[in-house]
Amino acid sequence: MLSRTAEGLFWMARYVERMDNVARLLDAGRRMDNLPHQGSTHQSEWISIVIASGASSTFPLPLEDSDRASVARHLIRDMENPSSIASCIEAARMNAKAIRNAITAELWEAINDTRIGLREQLMQENDKFSLSAFLDWVRERAGLTMGRIDSTLLRDDGYRFIELGKWFERADATARMLDVKYHVLLPKVTDVGGGIDYLQWVQILRAANSAMAFRHLYRRSVDPKGVVDLLVLNEKSPRSLITALTEIRIAFDKLADDVPLQRQMTERVARAEQKLRATSTDEIFETGLHDWLTAFITETNDTALAVSDAFGFGPEQVSVTAEASQ
Amino acid sequence: MSKDIFNEMVDGPSHRPEYQSVLDWIEKNGVDGLQSRRAEAEALFRKIGITFAVYGEGGDPDRLIPFDMVPRIFNAAEWQIVESGSIQRARALNAFIADVYGKQEILRAGIVPEKMVTSNPAYLKHIHGFRPPRDVWAHIIGVDLVRTGKDEFFVLEDNCRTPSGVSYVLQNREVMSRMFPELFWGGKIRPVDGYGDILAEAMQSVAPRNCNGVPTMALLTPGHYNSAYFEHSYLADLMGIELVEGADLFVDNDKVYMRTTRGPEQVDVIYRRIDDDFLDPSLFRKDSYIGVAGIFQAMKAGNVTVVNTPGTGIVDDKAMYTYVPDMIRFYLGEEPIIPNVQTFKCSEDSDLRYVLDNIADLVVKEVHGSGGYGMLVGPTSSKSEITEFTERLKNNPENYIAQPTLSLSAVPVLTENGLSPRHVDLRPFVVSGATTRMVPSGLSRVAMVEGSLVVNSSQGGGVKDTWVFYEDKV
Repeated sequence: MLSRTAEGLFWMARYVERMDNVARLLDAGRRMDNLPHQGSTHQSEWISIVIASGASSTFPLPLEDSDRASVARHLIRDMENPSSIASCIEAARMNAKAIRNAITAELWEAINDTRIGLREQLMQENDKFSLSAFLDWVRERAGLTMGRIDSTLLRDDGYRFIELGKWFERADATARMLDVKYHVLLPKVTDVGGGIDYLQWVQILRAANSAMAFRHLYRRSVDPKGVVDLLVLNEKSPRSLITALTEIRIAFDKLADDVPLQRQMTERVARAEQKLRATSTDEIFETGLHDWLTAFITETNDTALAVSDAFGFGPEQVSVTAEASQ
Repeated sequence: MSKDIFNEMVDGPSHRPEYQSVLDWIEKNGVDGLQSRRAEAEALFRKIGITFAVYGEGGDPDRLIPFDMVPRIFNAAEWQIVESGSIQRARALNAFIADVYGKQEILRAGIVPEKMVTSNPAYLKHIHGFRPPRDVWAHIIGVDLVRTGKDEFFVLEDNCRTPSGVSYVLQNREVMSRMFPELFWGGKIRPVDGYGDILAEAMQSVAPRNCNGVPTMALLTPGHYNSAYFEHSYLADLMGIELVEGADLFVDNDKVYMRTTRGPEQVDVIYRRIDDDFLDPSLFRKDSYIGVAGIFQAMKAGNVTVVNTPGTGIVDDKAMYTYVPDMIRFYLGEEPIIPNVQTFKCSEDSDLRYVLDNIADLVVKEVHGSGGYGMLVGPTSSKSEITEFTERLKNNPENYIAQPTLSLSAVPVLTENGLSPRHVDLRPFVVSGATTRMVPSGLSRVAMVEGSLVVNSSQGGGVKDTWVFYEDKV
């Protein structure tokens, strides 16, 4: 298949997954907004959402001026932010359009309709606009699109590139969501029925749609170690880092050809998975959750770049692959 | 509405500061704005699947309980009364049930008449001498409260069997925070998120003595035709435990197992949402298909904990209710923080005479009735209704108690013509295990008909979100 087609599928999937995750991050912000806060506003919560979404460089205000309205605007509508929901939908559609013949009509329509629907959603007058209803809609559209990928696409190389895009994106998003807690200050409220710290972890779990799963899997109340175990190391979680790395490795195994650069990548992906498997929550907390997550995010992004290079669509247009596919 | 009714939103000529943000919202968006949100809220409830079937009414089994959008608000001081009073009551009730099935000291002290216990249909003889883990009997208690003034609360009844309604407390909050996010922005409202953890921790803390390690737990439901099925599935989900029906369980060698794809799995703690009578067909109703034969023996053998313990219904009836203040004094050596409503026992001649003479001013209830069925509200009943009820009362006086009609407090609800006050009660939930705890909220049930005092959802009552503010917040 054309490297360009692979690239389109990879990024289409990443943007669909990203719109879902940005919606989930904003939902965590919405929920934390209802809790008691430090100082007179929820500023630190909103700053943490901006940082976690990777938008601190495009955010138009000084970070300390973050508030609900400015963060929601930047993460939903702002086209200057390449990860805003509007940008994600636009980019998913652009990529899908460019490779229109490599995907099914049903998948294309799901993505195209999302863009049409977005305009209607964003045209609602300010006082009619409901953040929670909008975020529900975004997740519904992402779910529909993912469902069409699952139910209509051939299981060929194109599908593997979609898988790679989706799982690289999810690994990145889950790591960032966990990091939200690092930036949030704790208010000085003592009696909060289990503590505000507990409540903030619960909101993060809920944003990752994992609050119910937590008790089911751990049979105890929510605590930081458990949350990290669930979202980093637990193979049963659909959002955990280990699940993402495992899926990446599986997709890669089926995809990689006997091209030296791709062989190297297969090994690299397998090594990353093995390394994570050998990690314990204790080690993560010894390193410091924030530092550990930062290292993970950097490493995973490097791997994603290297993968794209290996298949001829990364920033470094490697000649080996180009020759191999000719 | 007459003047002597306490309107919770009003303070003298103006309104209470706690309601300011709500009133500002209505001022800004108009009653129309509120009406349109109501349609959205109903759509949300349908989407989530919170519905309620009313026994014997036929019609739509998936109908919604009317949800009123105007929240009910308690400040920290008011909640302190509700919380301490409810916890005190739960402790005394548990001490009483333990005593009744044990040494019976309160009977010997002559405080509660023995026949009140032994002739009570909810008294389970087989349980006598049994001690559940930590001696906790009623793990979940719904205390029905009414308010008549600023700091005046009364307990209307206790629900120690399988009280329902907590899922509405949690879901009403979820819907409100979506519909009116701006009202939550101040961080004033105490969250209710912890209920699943509180309940699961309490259940874990009463694991049976033969259970080693983390107990396996399950919620036993009569099935999806039950009117509270949504709540059963929701709570099981919240705690991450299995939702089981009677047929999913069996007892072998005094141990309870679930049938799973990986073979039998032993269950240590069962939160049962079926009545005592149906729980164990080997002992009680042989025709029960929803129970588990042998579960009593498993419980006695220390292999399973049943939540709530069978037999707790003994304190639910309205005659036993009159003794709860005495129980508080006897077991805790404290004065009741929230008093009972004055109650006339029609089984006693002098009380019966008073009731018959004053029936038009009283509320008369069946001793074992629940859900607002089989009761007479004197002031709002017709002459023929009163005559008919008087006959029933004379024929079987032991079956009835009577109470003065309290002027229940009112809260504003949204009607076609704007806000209008309606009577309201409150059911907070007390969860007992190693500790006794509550989430800061409760089920506020409102009469949707003007002047009506009947708030039961089975009688068309509605529900509201109940907010408790943090200390120093208004």
